[in-house]
Amino acid sequence: MNAARVLPVFSIAFAVLYVLSMENNWALFTYFARAREFHWLIATPPTPRAGPAMYWYGWLATSAIGAAFVAAAASLVRGERMAQLWRGLSWAVPLAAVLALVFILRGWFIRGV
Amino acid sequence: MTTALLIIHGLCAVFMLGALTHQALSVWWPATAGTGSLFRSFRAVRAAAYANTVVILYIVTATLGAIIYPAYRIAVRVFLEDLRLSAANGVFELKEHVVAVGLGLLPAYWYYWRQPLAAGDATARKAVTALLAAIVWYGFLVGHILNSIRGFGP
Repeated sequence: MNAARVLPVFSIAFAVLYVLSMENNWALFTYFARAREFHWLIATPPTPRAGPAMYWYGWLATSAIGAAFVAAAASLVRGERMAQLWRGLSWAVPLAAVLALVFILRGWFIRGV
Repeated sequence: MTTALLIIHGLCAVFMLGALTHQALSVWWPATAGTGSLFRSFRAVRAAAYANTVVILYIVTATLGAIIYPAYRIAVRVFLEDLRLSAANGVFELKEHVVAVGLGLLPAYWYYWRQPLAAGDATARKAVTALLAAIVWYGFLVGHILNSIRGFGP
């Protein structure tokens, strides 16, 4: 079996899961920049001096692990039709994810949103 | 230390930008036989040869960015908030997220550029390369602008 054929599936799933993780704050861990501490899941600052909580690393981890599971499940599905579908989605879904991110973050650029 | 990492991060981004721009233009606008103009030469590259380098450079650049990100979060973002530069903060927020999408796109990018190139993957290869190039261009320009507004350091 050529395991590499599911790599596009990983990319598709990663883009979807990243947007969902970011929007719903599904961080696998939280990093406190000033205290230089990692805490599992969504953590509140252990002390006021711990600095801002950073979830970006946790979102990446959530998305990567989730996408790996989806890709592993996709390896059970075969056929040229599926490969064709993945070819189309492998760029369309990440592009849609970028557009979704622009929409989600519009509040930074448009006042009152 | 952070400043040194920022400079290396920027240099890696420049190399990657060059490689991806060569590659994207060569697949979207292949060079034809004719005069040896500079622009034609720019497109007349063996695009597949860049793929592994782009993947490595993307991972290295993103990793360096991730290492210096806390310094940005503590010193630069607060400074931008104090100046009420909401759009500047926003473009960096977007950079952080599109770079993450680009990171996830690398497996598909690598797959479509594996040798020998599959003819059936041509459209996906072009689209994924263009999207990755756009992400890297955006990240590079935003990083440069933000660094011009407020670099690291005291």
